[in-house]
Amino acid sequence: MRPQRAKTIRQLPVDGQALKRLIEAGLTWLRTNQQIVNSLNVFPVPDGDTGTNMVLTMQAAMDEISDSHERNFGKMAHAVAHGALMGARGNSGVILSQLWRGFARGVDHQETLDANSLARAFALARDTAYKGVVRPVEGTILTVSKDIAAAAEKAEINAIDPFEVLDEVVKEADLSVQRTPELLAVLKEAGVVDAGGKGLFYILEGMLRFANGLPLDTALTTVQPLAAMTFENSLETIEPGQDFEVVVDFRPTNSLDLESFYSQLQEMGTSIQVGEGEGIYRMHIHVPTEKLYEPINYTRSLGTITKASIENLIEQMETIRATQGGGRLTLAPVEPGQIAVVAVSPGAGISRVFASLGAAAIVEGGQTMNPSTQEIINAFENLPTDQVIILPNNKNIILAAQSAAGLTVKNVAVVPSRTIPQGLAAMLRLAPDNEFDEVVEEMTEALDNVVSGEITTATRSVEIDGVAVIEGQTIALHNGQLVLATDTIENACLGLLKKAHAENYELITMFYGADIPKSEVNRIEDVVRSAYPEQEVEVQEGGQPHYQFIIAIE
Amino acid sequence: MGHIAIVTDSTADIPEELTERHNIHVVPNILVIDGRSLEDGKGITRQEFYTSLPGMKAFPTTATASSGTYQQLYQRLLQEGFSQILSIHAASLLSGIFNAASLAAQAFGQCVRVIDSHYVTLGLGFQALAAAEAALHEPLENILALIEDVRQRVRVIAMLDTLEYVRRSGRVSWAKAHLGELLQIKPLVEIRSGQVVRLGEERTRRKGIERLLRHLRDLGKLERLAILHTNAEDEAQRILDDPRLDLPVKPFCVNVTPIIGAHVGPNGLGFAAVVR
Repeated sequence: MRPQRAKTIRQLPVDGQALKRLIEAGLTWLRTNQQIVNSLNVFPVPDGDTGTNMVLTMQAAMDEISDSHERNFGKMAHAVAHGALMGARGNSGVILSQLWRGFARGVDHQETLDANSLARAFALARDTAYKGVVRPVEGTILTVSKDIAAAAEKAEINAIDPFEVLDEVVKEADLSVQRTPELLAVLKEAGVVDAGGKGLFYILEGMLRFANGLPLDTALTTVQPLAAMTFENSLETIEPGQDFEVVVDFRPTNSLDLESFYSQLQEMGTSIQVGEGEGIYRMHIHVPTEKLYEPINYTRSLGTITKASIENLIEQMETIRATQGGGRLTLAPVEPGQIAVVAVSPGAGISRVFASLGAAAIVEGGQTMNPSTQEIINAFENLPTDQVIILPNNKNIILAAQSAAGLTVKNVAVVPSRTIPQGLAAMLRLAPDNEFDEVVEEMTEALDNVVSGEITTATRSVEIDGVAVIEGQTIALHNGQLVLATDTIENACLGLLKKAHAENYELITMFYGADIPKSEVNRIEDVVRSAYPEQEVEVQEGGQPHYQFIIAIE
Repeated sequence: MGHIAIVTDSTADIPEELTERHNIHVVPNILVIDGRSLEDGKGITRQEFYTSLPGMKAFPTTATASSGTYQQLYQRLLQEGFSQILSIHAASLLSGIFNAASLAAQAFGQCVRVIDSHYVTLGLGFQALAAAEAALHEPLENILALIEDVRQRVRVIAMLDTLEYVRRSGRVSWAKAHLGELLQIKPLVEIRSGQVVRLGEERTRRKGIERLLRHLRDLGKLERLAILHTNAEDEAQRILDDPRLDLPVKPFCVNVTPIIGAHVGPNGLGFAAVVR
């Protein structure tokens, strides 16, 4: 985006085509800062990354309008809202789509944008977003939307053009994001600001930067703390031509000139991140095959390399496809009038278990890859019945599922399962021929019939819920709450079962993930069996990424 | 002797004491074990059957008594002086019994009425019992109405120990998909409109029985009750001892006929109840 072209936008009427460029700018700037938003994760678990979710939601909005020649601002805004709604992923994506929906209502029939209508649009965006959440929580993207609506209202009085309003909105968004830890204790405890609010800030700031002729495709020359660097989703952010992920740890000889370091790296590849801890720098980049060694050679010219790693992203993706493609899924047949269940599943094994309990459709997704509203709709739209129950099986997918339920003529209910064990417990209550409402009620009731455990590796060091965690430790979550951090998977499993008082239950079902060797699974199974001789222990392949075990205790 | 004869088949599971007292004529079905055809109730006890079922090399099969058998019985009853025969049978969607009896009845015109009970075991049995009790003093129309009335009020629900036998029977379409193959589950099923429908599952037997009891309690006051089981006598008896239940007079336990049990498997537990 060249400054000359961009500058003209402040002088021309802001019509539909201008909005298209602003959306593109917001998306581009958000994508540039995606990893920063992703790193603002409260819990040290591989989770549905907010930055990635918001980028994918905005990308869907952009895809919706990229070929449009619409000049009417209001109509274009509605197209943006529709695209965002269908592409919404994760809770932050759904709320973002609601913001666009309200925004579009505020500029209804507006040929061009003016200061007054922009302020109204931000106000309606706020109202719509708050209504879209059952229990609004302050200190989140919602609060930021509220604060910027107020700022826009104030700025509008004296503003000559909408960009003067946007100036104030971006300033307020920044301040509002800084304030989020004061409103939400978990943020303060984790030492981060709200990721969704930060993402919204980047979208708005990207628009303003574009209007002011500032570059958007230059990565921020900032350095994160090493512990905050997460590359969990390298496969999701993979771009065409970027076949390898290169990570280099080095100690610079002289102090590092970040500005030139970044610009050199940009010549080589994308998804650049730089972290620092105790004098050691870590550089992360995705590069094409022919530039594979350039980042390493370049870094070597700056100092001493302590560690370098290269991963073939294409190959990894093939492997994942191969393992997920293996063993075709046989789904339960549904007859017209029967109740069909759509379950979201993070792994091939768990998909098979849901299918074996009578799920009619599976949507792939989970902790790190939240399916979009559209993907959920696609899963049930072609089922031969109008009665559909969705099991999101993850707290970050519940809103997208509810959004999908609201966008179809079918009778769709969401049973808000937050974990895989909850989803399975609900699944057992499916009586496909019974009254719909009665089944929904039964399944919802069943969510509390099971204790959920999750074992994973901490993605960063943090102290939360009174548990001190060091990056790389194995941690256990008990009904979604962090309960312990330890050094082995075995200890995490035993610790979790103890916390959950598994001795008072009948059955322990362990779903092992994709990242743990079968021999280790067998060994831990034996340990658990001898620790709980009174309980039945069942071990099943789950195939989920990142989580070594998902455990149901009932 | 009344003028209306009540005929049913061995899937009705009516205890012998009651068939004798109410003069119900029961046509045995055929059980085929290792190529050997046995009349239901002969050659192997129910306990023996369920104990040996999991170890049987070949899956035992079942067959309906021939049309000829029904024809001979109808002939004999009419010769004995009955003017009318009501022949009530297992759900036609689940077995060929109704079909065989209907074929046989064609030779007798209006004298033989064949009725699809839409149920099996005591879901059928209670309809036949009600008919037999009324047959002594009520006219045909009233008996037909009574059968219909009982059918509207009967509920048959069971917890299976495994879905394997239902799946192998091939009679229940939803069980064919890989249902219940991976996790241990205890499916709950209900007979409804002559078909087996899913009521969901539980992961453990204890929870399965709890849920079964909840279904039973939810029915409220009962007119008749039979606890059905396939070699789970103790657990069946314990249900009758449950103080939370509002029991009708003379409830009883039945170790279900192998004709049905072959498709259910051992350690199943359930009930047939007529609500008030």
